[in-house]
Parts: sequence; C-alpha cells; structure tokens
Amino acid sequence: MTEPIVRYNQVSKYFGDLQVLNKIDFDIMPGEKVALIGPSGSGKTTFARLLMTLESLSSGTIQVDGQYLWHEEKDGKLVKASSKHLREVRQNIGMVFQHFHLFPHMTVLENVMEAQVTVKKTPEKEAEKISKDMLDKVGLLEKADVYPAQLSGGQKQRVAIARALVMKPKVMIFDEPTSALDPELVGEVLEIIKEIADEGEMAMLLITHEMDFALEVADRIAFFDGGKIVEQGSPEQMINNPETPRLNEFLSRFNATNSL
Amino acid sequence: MSTLEILGSLLKEGLLVTVSLTFFSAILALVLGFGSGLARMSKSKIIWFIAGTYVELFRGTSLLVQLFFIYFVLPMFGLRMSAMVAAVLAIGLNFGAYTSEVVRSAVQAIDVGQREASVALNMTRQQMMRRIIIPQAFIRMIPNLGNQLIELFKSTSLVSLITLTDLTYQANVLNGSTLETTKIYTLLLLIYFVLAWPLTKGMNVLERKLTEGRF
Repeated sequence: MTEPIVRYNQVSKYFGDLQVLNKIDFDIMPGEKVALIGPSGSGKTTFARLLMTLESLSSGTIQVDGQYLWHEEKDGKLVKASSKHLREVRQNIGMVFQHFHLFPHMTVLENVMEAQVTVKKTPEKEAEKISKDMLDKVGLLEKADVYPAQLSGGQKQRVAIARALVMKPKVMIFDEPTSALDPELVGEVLEIIKEIADEGEMAMLLITHEMDFALEVADRIAFFDGGKIVEQGSPEQMINNPETPRLNEFLSRFNATNSL
Repeated sequence: MSTLEILGSLLKEGLLVTVSLTFFSAILALVLGFGSGLARMSKSKIIWFIAGTYVELFRGTSLLVQLFFIYFVLPMFGLRMSAMVAAVLAIGLNFGAYTSEVVRSAVQAIDVGQREASVALNMTRQQMMRRIIIPQAFIRMIPNLGNQLIELFKSTSLVSLITLTDLTYQANVLNGSTLETTKIYTLLLLIYFVLAWPLTKGMNVLERKLTEGRF
C-alpha cells in the first residue's frame, strides 16, 4: 500500500479565540489532485497555508512524505521543529498564490531562476536552462527579460506557476489561482494547471471557486464548512449526489449565481 | 578684498574638509542606519534593545550637543580623538539613528506577499532579506535617504564650532579679518547650494534608474 504524501492528523487552528479549523484528519496520496471547496471563512485557505508553513499549527500534526512538518522526534518525543528541519520538509511543498506575489525588482527569468540558485544551489547556467524550458512550457519564453509590471494578470500567474514548478515540489498548492484575474484571462491559467495535472506525478491541492474546473481536474473534492471537512468524495458524486444539506445548499447557491 | 579672492580663500581649504566630512559621515550613517534598522526587527530581545536605545538616544538629543560631548567630554574619560574623527563620529551616529527609521519603515512597507512567496520557495530568512526584501525596500528608501544626505551635508557646518576648518569656519575667519560680511556669507550660501544640487539630482536619477519599468 502506498503511503500518503501528506497526512493531517487532528489539526486545529485558532486565531485568538476564533477556531478556524477543528480537529481535521486528511490524507493526500502521491499524485492525487484534491480540490477544496466551501464558503469563504470555512477554513480551506488556512488548511492549505498550514501546509506551506505560512500559519502555525495550534494543535495536531502534519506529515509530509512520512516526516513531521512542524515537529521533529527527539528521544521518542515530538518537539517543535528546528528551522533547519522545517526547511528540509518544506522543500516538498510549493504554492501558487491568488495575487501571484512575483518579485517586482526581478525580470521574469530572474523570478523563475532565483530560488533554484539561492535555495537549491543549482549552477546559474543550468538554472537558466531549466527556467527557460519552463517559461516555454507556460508560453512566456518571449517575456523572459521583461519585468512583472509589464505583464497581464494571466501572464503573471503563469510566471508564478513556472517559478513554483522549477522547484519540483511533490505537492503543489494553488490558492484560488484565478480569483484575481479578469474573466477573459482565467482560461489561459486554468489550461496550464490542467496541463500540469495531466502530467500526473505531482500531488495538487487546489482551492477554487471554479466548480467546472474542479470537476474536470480533481480526483477528489473536499467540502469545507465551519472549520471542518463536511463531505468529501469523487467530483461526480459530490456534484451530482451531495449527501449533506450544507453541500447541497452551497452548490445550489453556486449554480444560481452561475446561471445569472 | 574682491569677491573672487573671497571665493578662492573659502574654497581653498574649507571645501575639502566639508566634502570629505560629508562623505565619511554619510557612509558611517548608512552603515549604522542599515545595521540598527534591521536590528530593530530582530527576534533577539538584546539586539532589539541595543538598537532601540541607540536610535532613541541619538534622535532625542541635539547634534551640536553630541558633537561637543564627543569632542570635549570624552577626552576627560581618556577617549581623545582629532576634531575630524569626532565630527565624523557625531554626525554619523546622529544621522545613523534617523536612517535607521527610514530603513525600518521601508522594510516594513514591503507587501507581506513577498515574504510568503519567499517562504513558499523555501528561502531562509537571511536569503529572503538579502535577495527579496532589502532590494525592494532600498528603492523605497532613496527619496528619504536623499533628503537625509542633504540634511547631513548642511549640518556639517556645525563642526566649525569644534575648530574644524570647513567652509563655515573659513568664512568666520575671513569675516573676522576683512569684515566683508555680506559678500562672505552670500558666497557661503551659494557654495552650499551649488554643492547640494548634484546630490539632489543624483538621487533622483538613481531612483529613476532603479524603478524604470518595474513599479
């Protein structure tokens, strides 16, 4: 039996007194594409940010490829991870943000090369080749030498995807990757994500409001509500036969807005 | 005494002192400013406290008094130094404290998304600061640093009070011996203005070069 690439175990998260995640257990298998859906404030973004170490755990554990992310084992006990340990485990995770967060002082090529050179210590020549190949793949090789400010939103997001991909993570988080885009630019980004998904080997955690896209790409959909995963299953099952009234309500509201 | 003669004797010795004083104390201020500005964001309480104390101490007292203190009081505790060293130290320390605030606020103004992207690319905190945060913060600092540089340049005239023979000192000496007060101080004003001009322009050009097409 294959081991999960990511395992959440009894994960809770509080912001002050507010509980955003309530004792969540969740496994992601290697190469699996999981879409997270749910109303805003349901905890799905926090759930993903914990994995990227952008928020700290309140309780529970997260394991990545069998290693604890936020903890390490010392004398048979779990203690808070050192930053060295955290970074070692974190190299398996990558993330694409809603607002891209490209580095504005670097060209497109430099953006994609940066972490390969500074973090992975890839020789510059090699990193340049890898980066150009990746930019070619996302259709932006001719923009290699321009600054992000000169790109459209869709182009920025494609650069951000290339920047994350060259680090070769085993799990990639997409946090509402098209929510900040003009409607006519959504397609080009979804197309790239679909292409990556079809290649298979990388697991994906996709937070999205694009229900059709989730249906097309995801192996499994998890529905978040009130800090819990209320329901999960295959896309067909979730969309066509929602079991819980909350999901039913969420989907019908969704269809209502979409058909307007 | 003709105007030209006055100009000549003002510039002959004073110019070099004023310019080199500006140069060395600006470098010291920049180093101290960056050091303490970044230290004030440190997680270490001790580093944070030392930097904070330095900044508050030197922002909260007058440069002139600091200058007197370093030049006249420290020797009583066995710390003897030349007027030039005392002046560079006083001006550098004083402006370093202001620069510290410029550095800190520019770094803190960088969008949190830049930090998150750095974490997602698995950078260390040091790599993030060096490659992502500081280069962007530096561009934001330039207008403020430019203002500070001009302020620093003009404040070097205070050193004439600890016997350093800068432009202002030379003007005072000349005034004492010739009583051509109007000519001398008008020329002195003009000299400072002409020297400050390229500093202002230079900073503008630097800012434009660094932001071209990027922001």
